[in-house]
Amino acid sequence: MTAFGNYLVKNGNDLLASLGQHIFISLVAALIAIVIAIPLAVALVNHRRWGEVVLQVTGVVQTIPSLAVLGLLIPLVGIGTVPSIIALVLYAIMPIFQNTYAGLTNIDPLLIEAADAFGMSRRFKLFRVQLPLAMPMILSGIRIAVVLIIGTATLAALIGGGGLGTYIITGIQTNNDQALIAGAVLSAILALVASWLIKVLSRVSVKKLLYGLGILAVLGVSGGIYHQATQPKETITIAGKLGGEPDILIHMYKDLIEQDNPNVHVVLKPNFGGTTFLFKGLQSGKIDIYPEFTGTVLQTLVKQPKHVSHDPAKSYQQAKALLKKQYGLDYLKPMKYQNNYSLALRKQDAEKYHLKTISDLSQVSTTLTSAFDTDFSQQKDGYPGLKTAYGLVFKSVQTMEPSLRYQAVADRKVDVTDAYTTDPQIRQYHLVTLKDDKSFFPAYQGAPLMKASFAKQHPRVVKSLNQLNGKVTTKQMQEMNYQVTVKHRKAATVAREFLQQQHLLK
Amino acid sequence: MIEFENVSKTYEQQPALNDLNLTINDGELFVLVGPSGSGKTTLLKMINKLIEPTTGTVKIDGQDVGAADIRQLRHQIGYVLQAGALFPNMTVEQNAAIQLDQLDWDVRQKHDRINELLTRVDLDPQTYMERMPSELSGGEAQRVGIVRALASQPKLILMDEPFSALDPLSRRRLQQLVLKLHQELACTIVFVTHDMQEAIKLADRLAVIHNGDLLQVGRPQEIIANPASEFVADFFDDGTTRNLFLSQVLKTGFGRLPEPADQPVKLAGTDTIFTWADLLNQHPRQLVTVDDLVLEPQDLLSYMSQIGQVS
Ligand SMILES: Nc1ncnc2c1ncn2[C@@H]1O[C@H](COP(=O)(O)OP(=O)(O)O)[C@@H](O)[C@H]1O
Ligand SMILES: [Mg+2]
Repeated sequence: MTAFGNYLVKNGNDLLASLGQHIFISLVAALIAIVIAIPLAVALVNHRRWGEVVLQVTGVVQTIPSLAVLGLLIPLVGIGTVPSIIALVLYAIMPIFQNTYAGLTNIDPLLIEAADAFGMSRRFKLFRVQLPLAMPMILSGIRIAVVLIIGTATLAALIGGGGLGTYIITGIQTNNDQALIAGAVLSAILALVASWLIKVLSRVSVKKLLYGLGILAVLGVSGGIYHQATQPKETITIAGKLGGEPDILIHMYKDLIEQDNPNVHVVLKPNFGGTTFLFKGLQSGKIDIYPEFTGTVLQTLVKQPKHVSHDPAKSYQQAKALLKKQYGLDYLKPMKYQNNYSLALRKQDAEKYHLKTISDLSQVSTTLTSAFDTDFSQQKDGYPGLKTAYGLVFKSVQTMEPSLRYQAVADRKVDVTDAYTTDPQIRQYHLVTLKDDKSFFPAYQGAPLMKASFAKQHPRVVKSLNQLNGKVTTKQMQEMNYQVTVKHRKAATVAREFLQQQHLLK
Repeated sequence: MIEFENVSKTYEQQPALNDLNLTINDGELFVLVGPSGSGKTTLLKMINKLIEPTTGTVKIDGQDVGAADIRQLRHQIGYVLQAGALFPNMTVEQNAAIQLDQLDWDVRQKHDRINELLTRVDLDPQTYMERMPSELSGGEAQRVGIVRALASQPKLILMDEPFSALDPLSRRRLQQLVLKLHQELACTIVFVTHDMQEAIKLADRLAVIHNGDLLQVGRPQEIIANPASEFVADFFDDGTTRNLFLSQVLKTGFGRLPEPADQPVKLAGTDTIFTWADLLNQHPRQLVTVDDLVLEPQDLLSYMSQIGQVS
């Protein structure tokens, strides 16, 4: 509990900013949904058949999983706040429309008859009779919608919409329970407060309510304008994939760029999504830069070349050339460390047998036991291939849950396991990884990816980023990941300390 | 003057009114009476175009309702619905002034008008102006309903079973109120009811409707004396109706020969005991003569107690 309290104190400002963003997204989505759903219901009350059709359609929209809606929207409107709001609006329309429509159609027909018999104008009838009588239903629809929006808005973080979901997703990705709880609890509290507020507001007269909405809208719009106006001339958007390591890298990018380019403002979108999200975002111009691995470029992004080199330098050249040719992208120079497959074992064993490379291991492997992740133990580019390439023969081979394998080695249950070279657990459990001296595994080196046109227009940004070329060893990356994922320090702090230590940042 | 000319109405192939001709004169309190489902409401709503006839025409003062501007038409017609049908989101004053809002009366004028009318229907404006409909009894709500219908001083007022949901006491009081207002305001009232007693009590003239057919039109006494069909006769004869007429009072044995000192008012055998009671209400000692026999005020009480024992 005190740890959680500390977390809240330490991240108070960021949490507040995310909360603000969450409220903003939810409010905008709710307002848009109201502005669409209520007039639609009003228009369709006199066309019951169409009303039923719309009820069906909005009902169907709501059954589509929110992630699918987000996925469908990305090719249409890209990533970020806009598609998040669109998806939320789509969800929120249903309850508001349904309740407004039901509220309007369930008014005592005798009252409608009275309204008509006294020759009321349509406007008068709508605003003085129909809407006030349907208001309790409409407000309960809005309440349902707002609670739904606040809950679903946590998913916005998946496509870079920000908000409290960022903490939930970071929490899951980096195994940080405190972030996860902070995000989840705050969004739950927000939903409760909003629901209560609407309940209170429902006792206020329609007129005052309309004034209130008007004031809120004006505040929102002027806030947005102020926000726009106070931003420096140029904004560069840098996104990172899910997880602690990309988060650290993009903070380094930001610090380096902003140090050299005082009039550039870098906006970071950490935990922005998977590879495809980011790659599409880069192409559509929603984001300007993101760090990508050479291996990923060659394996999944470019159309498959005939021969993929596993040598780091050659893979980088190949990846750079293909990205330029096929997509018009510039791939800046890579950092030193490799984030790829390797084999890990206890430090004492490595020292005892003088093991540095996998070739070294093959000399003594018959005396050692091993456990691999299920995929790794079965795929041709995993253990079976490795075995042939190096002539490895272990005393025993078993499969194991990936999350358990490092600890199993540390606890001496097994001796060797598969590993990602920069995984923080290697540092945590005092393991070492062996060099893939025959380049069996594809090379995974990280480097900034951007449009060629962007690189051409921003030579100084390119220069700033190139300072990382050949920097950051596997060990250093491992340590930083350890600090962020296991120690729960902030990526921004860890990145800054590293850059200062390397004298790249004053 | 309201004229129905060859009016028919069919709902989804179901006839509701069959080729109906009827004229309602200015200043009449005209009652449409018949069992429920007979087509009374349909007929009434054709007057303010809430329902349009399938064939035939409805005219008000010679103007075809079908061709009239619908809102202008309705602004000149008062309408009283069942149980008041007040808007639950508005105060008594707002409810009552609803038609005045449409006619752009200014606030002061509206307020004064509603004030005057509430007093007229025996509701204290101080107490009732700001109340919500949920804070009114059934009878009070319907009084407000009547004020709402009278607000713009319409020459024509339509009432559709306005008192059928009320308790007998409130109903009787409101019937009295309608009679009083009708006299004071000199307007035309078209009143729909399925209650034959109510029809007799209120009507200057009434129309009996059954299964969409207009069976008979006339003054209550005439219809009871000469029912046009067996249905009409049955409808009005539930054993007590006959007792309401002065001819029956004489048949029961009341009435004495006139004396020179008498100054009686002449009534007909087809007049009802309500007319007599009304008269006595205003002049408690008034003698009346029916068919050359004199009835004393005391006779009414004796007669009432007698028919009370029989029925
Ligand atoms: N909107 C409607 N649709 C179909 N049938 C109707 C409609 N309104 C009335 N009717 C039918 O027309 C007939 C006359 O109805 P109505 O005028 O309401 O009778 P009343 O007022 O005498 O009770 C009834 O049989 C009723 O069921
Ligand atoms: Mg009716």
